[in-house]
Amino acid sequence: MVKKRVPALMLASVMALSVLAACGSKDSASGGSTGTGANGKENVEISLWLTPQWKGVFDASEPNADYDSFFKKAAEKFAQQYDKYNAKVKVQVVAGDQRDELLNVNLNGGTPPDIFFESVFAMGDYAHRGALVPLNDIVDDAAKKDIPANYWDSVTFGDNIYFYPFAHNPGTLAYNADMFRAAGLDSLIGGENEIKTWTMSEYEQILEALKTKLPKDKYPNAKPMALYGLNNQGDTWNLAYLRMFGNKFFDDKGNIVLDDANGVKAAEWLQKIYKNGYTNPGAESVSSNDANAMFQNQKLAISFTNAVLFNNAKADMNSGKAPKFDLRLANVPSASGDPLSFTYVVGSNVFNSGNEKKMEVAKDFVKFYSTDPELVKASKNSVPVRSSVASELKDQYPLFAAYDANSKYLFNLTGNVPGYSQLRQLLYPELQAIYIGEKTPAQAVKDYQSKGNGVIQKAKESSTVYKK
Amino acid sequence: MQLTKTRKKREKVDVVANAIVIFFAVLNLFPLYWLFTSSLKNSSDVIKMPPDWWPATITFSNYVEVFQSQPALRWTFNSLFVAGVSTVLVVAVSAMAAYAFSKLRFTGKNVLFIIFISSMMVPKEVMIVPLFRISQDLGLVNNLFGMIWPNVATAFGVFLLKGFFDSAPDALREASRIDGAGEVRTFLQIMLPIVKPGIGALFILNFVQVWNDYLWQLVIGQDKEMKTLMVGIATLMQDLNPNFAYKMAGATVAAIPMLLIFLLFQKYFTRGISIGAVKE
Repeated sequence: MVKKRVPALMLASVMALSVLAACGSKDSASGGSTGTGANGKENVEISLWLTPQWKGVFDASEPNADYDSFFKKAAEKFAQQYDKYNAKVKVQVVAGDQRDELLNVNLNGGTPPDIFFESVFAMGDYAHRGALVPLNDIVDDAAKKDIPANYWDSVTFGDNIYFYPFAHNPGTLAYNADMFRAAGLDSLIGGENEIKTWTMSEYEQILEALKTKLPKDKYPNAKPMALYGLNNQGDTWNLAYLRMFGNKFFDDKGNIVLDDANGVKAAEWLQKIYKNGYTNPGAESVSSNDANAMFQNQKLAISFTNAVLFNNAKADMNSGKAPKFDLRLANVPSASGDPLSFTYVVGSNVFNSGNEKKMEVAKDFVKFYSTDPELVKASKNSVPVRSSVASELKDQYPLFAAYDANSKYLFNLTGNVPGYSQLRQLLYPELQAIYIGEKTPAQAVKDYQSKGNGVIQKAKESSTVYKK
Repeated sequence: MQLTKTRKKREKVDVVANAIVIFFAVLNLFPLYWLFTSSLKNSSDVIKMPPDWWPATITFSNYVEVFQSQPALRWTFNSLFVAGVSTVLVVAVSAMAAYAFSKLRFTGKNVLFIIFISSMMVPKEVMIVPLFRISQDLGLVNNLFGMIWPNVATAFGVFLLKGFFDSAPDALREASRIDGAGEVRTFLQIMLPIVKPGIGALFILNFVQVWNDYLWQLVIGQDKEMKTLMVGIATLMQDLNPNFAYKMAGATVAAIPMLLIFLLFQKYFTRGISIGAVKE
């Protein structure tokens, strides 16, 4: 009797769970046209994906601020004034390291998101693959005038614009000025609203002082600088470090040229600071997020940051999530003395879903939140690409001027080469090999260049942009 | 005298062997201990040096934050539902198929079994896109049953249980048939109880496998509410949050159900594996 009860109980449990479970989401994965509304207009549902950027509509201090708050608010505002259809926007936040897996499966399944809001460098490949639709028709003269040409250049592939620029994220170093003071480095601290530029020798002096003079009782087990190589995230700063001794990384034809004396010297420098204890230990198994969390917890004196990470870190301090300290910015130093400065434009693209109505609504929505005078102010969480917004907010955000002053040193981080997503997959294993001593820096650089150029060549051959 | 000496020597060896086993057991358990205790600390205490081996002040705020800022309860339910239903279905389907391959006679049985077993060599990742397209056509994206159905017909389950059915004497089945029992009754009342240890092992192995089936659950459960615990917690780990203890709490929440399953069913697990390994 008891024996019969066990399977019966299991079956009953399964049935009960099935009944209880709201097994399916009420909404479909990708949305679509779903009949007509009471106002006689056709219902069209589109999906928007984004990776975590800033929290809140305008500010992380808003109640219930989350990464999707801005787009939910924008969707609400858009639907109220949109007269073509009853538009519904489903917003989904996707973790950075899940983005490509999810996108590739959905693209192959014919259900890509209608819009993706992301850094252009991370998604340029999708333009080369023909997965995105050009946005030339929603970019008007007013937008072209308000957003400087260099931002339009970075979102243009071949003859077409594939991303509508919203903000940009200049990449810099962040440092804990309190730790600098504690290590006797007062003279090398920049101003509160300055992006400090150090020479290479000053930087090495800083690392040495932080390693040897930082009071152990106040900053136990703290290390001078963040170094990471666990995965493909945060690779942009590693790409900057590899240019420290003058290597230009890409040639004019879009091939990797890291394998020269300067490229090897940079890789050797990374190995040297790691081996000599100037960085966090275990760089090969530390992610960029881990490194930043260690920095925020004052276990590292120097880390990397961009405008949005910097603002998030300040918000964490103000909300008590992280200890408060004097957080300031510096450039990645270089042997030439000029700062190594880069930025990446963040914006929206529209996927070719094959559904004309959805693509029309998606484009209209992108144009709406990228031009609406109130909504574009959310770009202050990074740095606004619109001159009008930057100029309106410059008094409130004095760092905008510092970022602007840096712009003359900008280098093109990705070279706009096709296959960049795959290149990201190649870099971190070579860095890991350097840190664990599996390869010499020279060998790692050589292997990266050889594999990377193979990837670029293949991607060029299949690029719809290059074929034109 | 000689016997006592030998016994004493053996006891000494036992003590040393046990000490080594205990050392490695503690070594294995330490990460779990560290995970759990860290989840009860403040963020700054997690990375304190020298570390606190036990939290100086215990706080549950990290757990509160996990459950308040994320739909972690819903994710837990989703994981339990997907793993539970998948496992019950796998056990049912595998037991029937294994019985057929082991005890019934039909043309092409061996060829069919080899083909079936060969499918174990194809990694699931290769089939993700076709499976996703089928799930879409069936309207099973963002649906828990979409996470379940590809797991139901598992060659491993059939392979495992066939070994158990093979070791059950044919005479039992024949006697049952002579006594007038039909095939279904023979299967349910005579043969199935004999392979209970195998079913227990399959239950646990499959439950663990489905619980950790990250990629498939990631692509099917796209809405926040439809994520499973493993996918949801992985997303949480990517959050730009400097609170290490919060992430530790998330990882603990993901680990606890699996630990409970092992603790509750370890008898079946060890018996199932050891019985399956020896064939007489």
